[in-house]
Amino acid sequence: MSLDYSKELTLVQGNMTMADLDNAIAKPMDTKPNKNYFIALAFTSSLLLLGVIAVSLTFYYGIGEWGNNQPVGWAFDITNFVFWVGIAHAGTLISAILYLLRQKWRTAISRFSEAMTIFAVICAGIFPIIHTGRPWLAGYLIPYPNAMQLWPNFVSPLVWDVFAVSTYFIVSLLFWYVGLIPDFATLRDRTVSKIKKFIYSLFSLGWRHSNRDWRHYEKVYMILAGLATPLVLSVHTVVSFDFATSVLPGWHSTIFPPYFVAGAIFSGFAMVVTALVFMRKVFSLENIITMDHLDRMNKIILLTGSMVGYAYLMEFFISWYSGVPTEQYVAINRAFGPYAWGYWVMVSCNSIFPQLFWFRRFRRSIPVMFIVVVLVNVGMWFERFIIIVTSLHRDFLPSSWGMFYPTWVDFSILFGSFGLFFTLVLLFTRTLPVVTMSEIKGVVEGAQPSHYEGDHNA
Amino acid sequence: MSKIESGYNKKSLPNSVSKIGGTLLAIGLLLGIAGFLVDSYRASYAYLVSFIFFLSIAVGSLFLVALEYAANADWSTPFRRISEFFAASLPLLLILVVPLFFNTSNLFLWSHAGYVHGDKMLEAKSAYLNTPFFMVRVIAIILLWLFFYWMITKNSRKQDETKDQVLTKRNITLSVIFIPVFAITITLTAIDWIMSLESKWFSTIFGVYLFAGVVWCSLAALTFSAIKLKENGYLHSAIKEDHYYSLGTLMFAFTAFWGYIAFSQYMLVWYGNLPEETFWFMQRWDGGWKFVSILLIITHFIVPFFGLLSYEAKTNVKRLKFMSVWILCVHFLDMYWLIMPGMSRNNHAYSFSWIDFVFPLVFIGILILVFNKMAEKFNLVPVGDPKLQRGLNFHL
Repeated sequence: MSLDYSKELTLVQGNMTMADLDNAIAKPMDTKPNKNYFIALAFTSSLLLLGVIAVSLTFYYGIGEWGNNQPVGWAFDITNFVFWVGIAHAGTLISAILYLLRQKWRTAISRFSEAMTIFAVICAGIFPIIHTGRPWLAGYLIPYPNAMQLWPNFVSPLVWDVFAVSTYFIVSLLFWYVGLIPDFATLRDRTVSKIKKFIYSLFSLGWRHSNRDWRHYEKVYMILAGLATPLVLSVHTVVSFDFATSVLPGWHSTIFPPYFVAGAIFSGFAMVVTALVFMRKVFSLENIITMDHLDRMNKIILLTGSMVGYAYLMEFFISWYSGVPTEQYVAINRAFGPYAWGYWVMVSCNSIFPQLFWFRRFRRSIPVMFIVVVLVNVGMWFERFIIIVTSLHRDFLPSSWGMFYPTWVDFSILFGSFGLFFTLVLLFTRTLPVVTMSEIKGVVEGAQPSHYEGDHNA
Repeated sequence: MSKIESGYNKKSLPNSVSKIGGTLLAIGLLLGIAGFLVDSYRASYAYLVSFIFFLSIAVGSLFLVALEYAANADWSTPFRRISEFFAASLPLLLILVVPLFFNTSNLFLWSHAGYVHGDKMLEAKSAYLNTPFFMVRVIAIILLWLFFYWMITKNSRKQDETKDQVLTKRNITLSVIFIPVFAITITLTAIDWIMSLESKWFSTIFGVYLFAGVVWCSLAALTFSAIKLKENGYLHSAIKEDHYYSLGTLMFAFTAFWGYIAFSQYMLVWYGNLPEETFWFMQRWDGGWKFVSILLIITHFIVPFFGLLSYEAKTNVKRLKFMSVWILCVHFLDMYWLIMPGMSRNNHAYSFSWIDFVFPLVFIGILILVFNKMAEKFNLVPVGDPKLQRGLNFHL
């Protein structure tokens, strides 16, 4: 297949007019959902219910319901936390960092992935609270001068986590909402239902599509993008500090911050592709979220997956190079010990299968990419599980060695978090525009000023 | 296509460029040889600092070329030749590395059989840290870089005449293969030349640390030359502030990236407080080194961060020129800070010497002379590149 490098790729295909775009994007909100939608919703909300039951049992009986033991004090809870925080990275990367880098293709997927960011942070936020075993005391994590003069320990990375994740959630939500304002106005102007009109009017904050509105909007959007960029990188950095600031072999490693961030973007993109593959089909948005978009996302998956692979190699090499026996032992134990199966699931899913994306044919094949991204999701969950459990399960003294066996409550909470996530995603697709209506119009063929300038100037 | 041809005329750089380069090289060589005669121990370290600085620009520039192809970027196409010309210094690494090979015993404690013998840690490492394997690695890495340099630039130059798009496609393939190769080779370079100076120290992020600095200073070299060349009419006339803005953004991004990586490394070592790791930072705090360490934070992060933060700064030609020279100097300081404390490992009182500062003259002289030679032979703008028109049309 020959490409013409002298031309940029068309972002929106099928010669869609502005009105076509509005109609295509607003269609899920204007029409009644079909049976399949309710089947899907029933399935995800059942999973959610299972999770609610398991969490309730945990609250009632305590975390003895889980498989956690001595020496494995952290297991599924923190694994799930890190997994979901990781998923939350794609949205802001796409909406903020790609915005700062002026990647116009982001417009088609930014809204949807930002929504996934917010839902993933919600899922993640559950775990630090429930893993303490006394969730009713979580308020003490907020630093305020209470009557007991009790302050959180500011030198603890677990407290940094609270600050990082909650700040990230607030900024992501604001960023998402600001982007939604012009779209709310568009929806307000086109809806015929009175109730909807009232709701849309409320959220559009009196937006009139005027020049002044846009001027303010673009400034705010730029500033929020600038703020969100260091934030998104800091969140997973702080999560990596939870492990790396300790002196535990396998956790204490200086590469952890960038390694975790790369892994987070990797897993986030994989989750976004997983959902986009269905979403663009179900809502007939193939002309807006084109194969070129998926192709580019798969390239980023390949890049970040290889970065993660680089980190695996570095960790393994340096553990040998360091000459520290405990470091060497942990590395060997990970790869060939009782959890070797998990380690090799992690390595193959994260660093080997994504290598298929070197080939354009596989990057543009829906079945191949779907299988790969699902494997990446699995692999990234296992990565956190392997990091956490293998460093803990064999303590420095062989008398403190053990194994971790998850219970059905552990699994139910994990599945429950998936239920929560996908329930929220499903509800979102029917209530808000899944593609940024206002921005996508700016990248339609003919909307760019270069098309006028090209022949006249210089 | 007429627009491309009307905006660019190939001409040689003025004679003063080769004069400056030649003078720097001659003075540097004289003083450098004197340095080796006076104090070969110190001179080996000082030479290594400049060698890594030179290597950073040479291979970092090749990385920038590969990055453009891999990312299918168009705004940087009008500048690409500048990076290609800087990368043209890569073959000289094969010669410039020779003085270091003769001085491995000055630089690396692990190269002394007597020192390693009886030390369990070093004996265990000796499968990797031994002089023959070290030299094989170094040469193999340079040859790998040369292979990609030759292939990519050959296609790029051929395209000036043929305008064949297939060459772009070939270079994209070469570039995407080069990027992982570069990741691994630059990591090994960091470990072999810098980390192993302190044979017992280790840090998993170290390769990324050097990578951040390498790309940063290559961007600065590119920005400075691009603006200078454009001002004097050697580049395409359609290049404008918007293009510089992108360069400024990238320099800013890598300032932040370096800060992030440097902080991660320091913070985790500090927090872990394990003696096998902290001693490396202690060395850079003892004696007068704490002033250099603090200076590095200010000059490597704070000044360029705020100096390049605003939109105005990134489109201000004067500011960009100043910051790019600043960045080049600071990258040298960074290499100095990484390498020189190794030589004072036995006596805490470290003092500067004139020898520390003579080798940059040699290497900067070489960079200028090679660049000049390339500019004589080849176009400074890739006139046959299909993305050139897109790149020239680029605006914010």
